[in-house]
Amino acid sequence: MALLLLGLGCCVLAAAASALPRSRRVPVSAGLGAIGCAIAFAAAMRVLVTGGVESFHTTRLLPMIGLSLSIDPLGALFIVATSFVGFAACIYCIGYARGELQSRTAMALLMVFILTLLAVPVASSIVSLMFCWELMALSSMLLILTDQRHSREARSAALWYGVMTQLGAASILFGLLLLTVHGGGQTFADIRLHSTALSSTVRSFAFFLALLGFASKAGAVPLHVWLPKAHPEAPSPVSALMSSSMVAMGVYGIIRVGGDLLHGGTVWWWVTVAAFGAVSALYGALHATTSTDIKRLLAYSTIDILGLVLVGVGAAGALYDTGHPGVAQLAMMAALLLVVAHAGFKGALFLGAGSIERSTGTRDLDQLGGLIHRMPFTAALFALSACSIMAVPTLSGFSSEWLLLQGLLHGFTDRSTPTLIIMLVGVVALALTGGLTAVAFVKAFGIGFLGQARSPGAANAVDVAPSMKIAMALLVIPSIVIGVVPGLLLPLINRAATTGLATATPSPVERGTSLVLTQFRGTIEPAVLLAGLVLVLLIVWAVNRRLAQRSARRVDAWGCGRDVQTPRMQYTATSFAEPLQRVFADVLRPQSDVEVTHVAESQYYEQSLVYQNRVSDALEQHGYRPVIDAALRVGKSARRIQNGSIHRYLAFGFVALLLILVVLA
Amino acid sequence: MVPSVAYSTVATLVQIVLVVLLGPMLIGFMAKVKARAEGRVGAPINQPLRDLRKLLSKERLHARHASVVLPFAPMVILAATSVAVAISPLVTTHPLLGSSADILVIVYLLLTGSVAAALAGLDAGTAFGGMGASRAMTIGALAEPALLVAVVALSIQSGTSNLPSMISTTLTHPNWVSGPSRLLALVALVIVVIAETGRLPVDNPSTHLELTMIHEAMILEYAGPELALVTLGASMRLGLLFSLIANLFFPWGIATSGSILGLLLGITVLVAKTALVAFGVSLIEVRSAKLRLFRLPELLAGGFVLSVLAVITGLVTR
Amino acid sequence: MSTTYVGALELASGAVLVSAIMTLWRRQVRSIVTMLSLQGIALAGVAVVLATHEHDKALLATGLLVLVVKGFVVPGLLRRVSQLDPNSRESAPLVNVPASLVFAAVLIVLSYVVSSRVTSFAPTVATHLTPIGIATVLVGYFMLVTRRRAVSKIVGLILVDNGIALVTFLLTSGVPLIVELGSSLDVLLVVVVLQFLVVNMGRHLRTNELAEMKALHD
Repeated sequence: MALLLLGLGCCVLAAAASALPRSRRVPVSAGLGAIGCAIAFAAAMRVLVTGGVESFHTTRLLPMIGLSLSIDPLGALFIVATSFVGFAACIYCIGYARGELQSRTAMALLMVFILTLLAVPVASSIVSLMFCWELMALSSMLLILTDQRHSREARSAALWYGVMTQLGAASILFGLLLLTVHGGGQTFADIRLHSTALSSTVRSFAFFLALLGFASKAGAVPLHVWLPKAHPEAPSPVSALMSSSMVAMGVYGIIRVGGDLLHGGTVWWWVTVAAFGAVSALYGALHATTSTDIKRLLAYSTIDILGLVLVGVGAAGALYDTGHPGVAQLAMMAALLLVVAHAGFKGALFLGAGSIERSTGTRDLDQLGGLIHRMPFTAALFALSACSIMAVPTLSGFSSEWLLLQGLLHGFTDRSTPTLIIMLVGVVALALTGGLTAVAFVKAFGIGFLGQARSPGAANAVDVAPSMKIAMALLVIPSIVIGVVPGLLLPLINRAATTGLATATPSPVERGTSLVLTQFRGTIEPAVLLAGLVLVLLIVWAVNRRLAQRSARRVDAWGCGRDVQTPRMQYTATSFAEPLQRVFADVLRPQSDVEVTHVAESQYYEQSLVYQNRVSDALEQHGYRPVIDAALRVGKSARRIQNGSIHRYLAFGFVALLLILVVLA
Repeated sequence: MVPSVAYSTVATLVQIVLVVLLGPMLIGFMAKVKARAEGRVGAPINQPLRDLRKLLSKERLHARHASVVLPFAPMVILAATSVAVAISPLVTTHPLLGSSADILVIVYLLLTGSVAAALAGLDAGTAFGGMGASRAMTIGALAEPALLVAVVALSIQSGTSNLPSMISTTLTHPNWVSGPSRLLALVALVIVVIAETGRLPVDNPSTHLELTMIHEAMILEYAGPELALVTLGASMRLGLLFSLIANLFFPWGIATSGSILGLLLGITVLVAKTALVAFGVSLIEVRSAKLRLFRLPELLAGGFVLSVLAVITGLVTR
Repeated sequence: MSTTYVGALELASGAVLVSAIMTLWRRQVRSIVTMLSLQGIALAGVAVVLATHEHDKALLATGLLVLVVKGFVVPGLLRRVSQLDPNSRESAPLVNVPASLVFAAVLIVLSYVVSSRVTSFAPTVATHLTPIGIATVLVGYFMLVTRRRAVSKIVGLILVDNGIALVTFLLTSGVPLIVELGSSLDVLLVVVVLQFLVVNMGRHLRTNELAEMKALHD
């Protein structure tokens, strides 16, 4: 615990270091932040390896109630993921910070954000959790505004995010407070002890309230609307942290409250969680395929992956409740492994998107192209992370999705209807998202990095600062490690899953570096597969080399006999996704219009043709807009009682006072 | 009885060589069947192999704006497909690495090949390449759900997603093969395989009109040895998928012990079975015209529903 | 209980549902009617399998009746109806085909869920298959709601009828011959009425979309 406190203290120092003069501010502050993350990583790793629980309590920091922190394997796993991404983000900042992000406020906020991300998983009382949670929300909301304070999108994103996160926090607070109403203290240890004595109605009510807040943080559809607005607008290291760590805190909360504090509850809790997950996975994947803003694409893909995580958590909870602890453990491990894997590749992808934005000045895929020639290193890392998210074998996405599918597959052994529905819906969600994710990331890499440049910005791009490349390379490491030798991490993941489910079942997956199910027949040995792949690659390469006497001749591409190939003739991101957009038009509701201006002399000749195609979030348009409009209408009608006259306002107060007196009398 | 490592290694090598030859031959065979059905004589069955040999001796050409992805992609396609072939139980239920021959590994290795091909299509920065890549990925994305759910249906029945175990449990439960779950999964998988291998009515492998091509448009910028590699990869994929269909729904004849005779028998039976599958697919091709791109979702959604149905009937009847 | 009996029963009832799905899947009215015919035959197959297993002569007769009426007579009449009207070669769904198929999958899951209670009362091989019958009813009803052409609507109605027949076969091992006779005749009557209707609509209104019949009420 002392080690972790040291790490947190380093982050506080880093925030304080933002007071330094401009020239030294970023390196010192980011460096201290990185050191803090590294120490926190070591502390969390120690807890994961040894499996103990360490606590700390002080009354100095929060008046009266005090701050209680306690680190157990479940929280430690989330700290491991967060601190890793935080470390990379700090390093990235050294090269990235420019303009607004270099300012005193922004650096301090960033460090506070990292600090709170590390503190949420160890907060062990309601007050401490809500304190860290709110600080996390507030700092990240302000960070959205740093880069583009004056753009309308950024302000709207911050507003949406602020409102949604406050509603969510209120919901969580009410849920947790309900648990303390019937005796017991507000620390998690007390709740854990007394929660079994509560009536099942109170428990369910508390869980669903907390679930609403946590699911909104995890980007679960339909509570996701803030996410695709906030993530693209934030500066890239912040987006990376938000997407890979903050969103995972929602999952952490669900596991902590549902699994650990309330000991599982009923199957229907988990059916709800899995349903949230399946809907989010599908919705996120569909929108990711049609987005053309690269960071928006990544944000929607976060909704997709987190949806799969929730499916895993839901499956685990349900299987645990129906008496299959082994398979439940398997599903929970898969969900947690996916969280860790996602933190790695999504962090790397967001940092890559930041590098693209920095060197080309745009995030619009339709304006990019040909970057592989100008930013080869970034391109290679982006490709590797994209392959990982597409679940290419021997990378982390595949290992974790394989484990998740095994969990679902063997979950079919249970014969109760709710569990079977979860399994079926989970399998279908996983199956539908697999192909769509591949489309989204082939688009992101193929349109962004390959082909010819579609704008001057992309044509004149220069590769980014070394620290940005190093940070991205760091985040690719988890993809490879979890992908090639997943077995190494399994004991740690198993320990975290045991805490989450509050069981002591032996690990359902074992043996060295590969994944071997102990209760069922199922094995993958990614290291061996990788060796096979490399072997065949080398053979083919050697043969190919021998066959070719000379190096390849450069020729013009085939253009149907036309010999000029302009960049405008290429497929764009919009056209790449158009077939799928048309197939899923009922869900996506794309808006497109064609505007034809004719030449004045004749109707048969066109002067100009404007085609517009936009896919906005249909749920936001049709679900949230009416509510907001109604609220605005109520607000407008309430305006009538305000006419600016001071006498009237005083009269209101007087009348209210009289009314209260009458009521009391 | 588990055969020795040496035997497994030999069997694996045999499988790779077999699929390298079998894939192109099956394509030739299908062209032959189609030609005969249309009253033509048609090219000899080994024509695709001759084409490959011719291509290998040609000059290497690269498009002007292409990057390293263009020459690298064929190797990735070939590597992913070869590893998938090596670990799959095609002629024996004990290939090398049979324990990690998970059916999901095969599915995702094939997906890797498709991704590499699509990226290569986008690499040269031409309209046709982009169009082919976009369409191929669209079809792939729509076929993927049917494929995965059908695979899960089969795995639920066998209690494992390990391919050799799935095949050996089928050998011990012959009545599974005629069960409704298996049959539904079979229909779904046939639809998926037709889509994944780019056969009619999804894609016309013999078209050379740019606007109607899908796979051919994607690989339009390839020439010479690299075209040979891409084509070989595609035909190996076809060979692998046909063999897997044949083995999952009619596994008899596959070598289960460590005898050389069994291996030889396995090879013969596999050739016969895949030829039969190819014959069936080419009959479908003869009878159907290419579907419009936006009619394809109907076909693939049908496959998806059938595979969901396969899972549910599997649950109901277990 | 022999495995062949189980296998045959599963296969025949599976075929009933698959042919119901196929009617949603295909667009050509001709092949939709063919699927309906296949469904009739499969339904008859279920009855015959059950009859031979339980040595029930009345059920066997019912099966044969179903085979004749639903396997051949009704589809034959429908084929003639559709040939009378050259415009109705393709069905015109209100909900597009992929969406209907996905919805059908949801319906199948739903029927599995609702019937799990029913099957737990009397867990035999036959009752385990009731979800298939319920799913057929739901798919038929869905078709009735979402298809425009008169012929497709009739196909939907017959699907509902076939589904109910399948459920009764499976749960009670057969309805009395006289009931099945009545219901089959009902369907036959509906088809005959439809034939007149379509012919007359075609003659007077030059359309066979039922939506346009709103114009008739004045």
